Amino acid sequence: MRSYLLSRLVQTALVVFLSLTAVFFLVRLGGDPVLLFLPMDIQAKDVNEFRQRLGFNDPLAFQYGRFVTAAARGDFGESLRYKRDALRLVLERLPATFTLAAAALLLTFCLAIPIGVISATQRGSMLDYLGMGGAVLGQAIPGFWLGLMLIYLFSVRLGWLPTGGTGGAAHYLMPSVVLAAFYAARMARLTRSAVLETLNEDYVLTARAKGLTEVAVVAKHTLKNSAIPIVTLAGLETGQLLGGAVITETIFAWPGVGRLTVQALLNRDFPVVLAAVFVISVTYTLINFLVDLLYGWLDPRTRREVGA
Amino acid sequence: MTIHRLRRHGLGILGLLLATLAVTAAVAAPLVAPHDPVRSDFAAGLKPPGSPGHPLGTDQLGRDLLSRVLYGARIALFIGLCTVLLTATVGGLLGLVAGFFGGWPGSVVMRIADVQLSFPFILLALTINAIVGLGLRNIIISLSAAGWVVYARVVRGEVLSVKQRDYVQAAYALGMGRGRILFRHLLPNVAPSIVIVASLQFSQFIVAEAAISFLGFGVQPPTPAWGSMLSESRDFLYVAWWLAAFPGAALALTALGINLVGDWLRDILDPKLRV
Repeated sequence: MRSYLLSRLVQTALVVFLSLTAVFFLVRLGGDPVLLFLPMDIQAKDVNEFRQRLGFNDPLAFQYGRFVTAAARGDFGESLRYKRDALRLVLERLPATFTLAAAALLLTFCLAIPIGVISATQRGSMLDYLGMGGAVLGQAIPGFWLGLMLIYLFSVRLGWLPTGGTGGAAHYLMPSVVLAAFYAARMARLTRSAVLETLNEDYVLTARAKGLTEVAVVAKHTLKNSAIPIVTLAGLETGQLLGGAVITETIFAWPGVGRLTVQALLNRDFPVVLAAVFVISVTYTLINFLVDLLYGWLDPRTRREVGA
Repeated sequence: MTIHRLRRHGLGILGLLLATLAVTAAVAAPLVAPHDPVRSDFAAGLKPPGSPGHPLGTDQLGRDLLSRVLYGARIALFIGLCTVLLTATVGGLLGLVAGFFGGWPGSVVMRIADVQLSFPFILLALTINAIVGLGLRNIIISLSAAGWVVYARVVRGEVLSVKQRDYVQAAYALGMGRGRILFRHLLPNVAPSIVIVASLQFSQFIVAEAAISFLGFGVQPPTPAWGSMLSESRDFLYVAWWLAAFPGAALALTALGINLVGDWLRDILDPKLRV
């Protein structure tokens, strides 16, 4: 187990390191990086001063070395726009993104699992068609359009919900629905097929033969055994929620990492972009790691392979 | 089972209809669009749907919304098609090579794939796009750079398993060259997977392009792309709902059609494949 943890840790570090390196060189490949780093309306004489100050006159290898040693200490430089430590800026926005993602994930589970289980157990019924029809639609409707339409309906026409920003529980409603829609749809479809597959297993037949009620068969014998693919998807999706957050946060003016990243990209605030890449890739790989640990708990058969 | 099958084919046919509609709109846009999609007419700004000469209304500059939505299909499908072709070729070839030859080049490719997959797709494409620059060509490059890994992964996995089959071993025993085995025996066997992944990725690329253009990157106004139209519509949500409703509906229906066709293809070609 310990060597497994260690190798995962090394892998995570490698992934984070390589993504930062990729962004570092991409920024410098695209021509004069100073022009990328600076606002569009800068005076020509200031450009040189900035170039000197940001160290772009040094050899590339030297710049890279300096970047890596600073990044290892968590120092990504100062935000060009906010004049503050870039990493701290990103970390301050993390709780907002996490709470929104948690709300969306909760909503996803509360919608997708019941819909998937009902569709599977009542296969071919009206409920199955409704559930799966909704899932197919939910997968096709782009989140940002859904967001705009919800704002139009509930904020502009009806005036029930705020158009954006943070505040009370009402502020969570539309963003988490938009964020959850796509993932809930996928998870409902997967839950349905996983449950259908498990229902064909011999132990389910045994449970039924014992005279257990259908509810007990599904709840005790089917659901936990269908959990592996569902948890896998949930893990992948929790990571993708960070990507979905970029769009949702922008539409609803949610002060999270996603919106900060988009603004930093628009403002060419690359220290913040690099810090955001760092935080997002660390979070993403950590989530996947936690999901792997969950497997061991759900399916003891995988424990030995993991430990070896 | 027959009901299930009927439902499957029914949805597939619905998808085919929607996709055909989108393709027709894209191909025939210059013939059927009532107006020039970029010509503005300030006297006729923000006309609601059903106005004479403008069935879907006009935008803030008086441009005809129907024409813009039709031309938008062109942009969306063009970007989707180019990206799918590019990613399928590059990702497929890399996956083929990684699976067939293995060794360090294969490891390097798969390592890069791992790194890319440890980052949300949309954010990756967005970041690349912000750095390489805006416009039609660059959005295709950005989406491709972010999207090729799925093919590489799937194709490599398939090649690793096909490589062990008897007929490949037999071809080796007959003294057939590696290139010949690669293209005569392996490629045809992994081709269905490539087709399935491509059909499932197609709508993802179209929606991702719209999302990136919506955020202010990607395709820029006045080019009538659905994403940038939706982006512009945000400022007029209080007065002109149709500016947000129609381009988004066109995007959703196109994505739905392609998704349904993709599901259908997967069911027919390889029900076991999970992408």
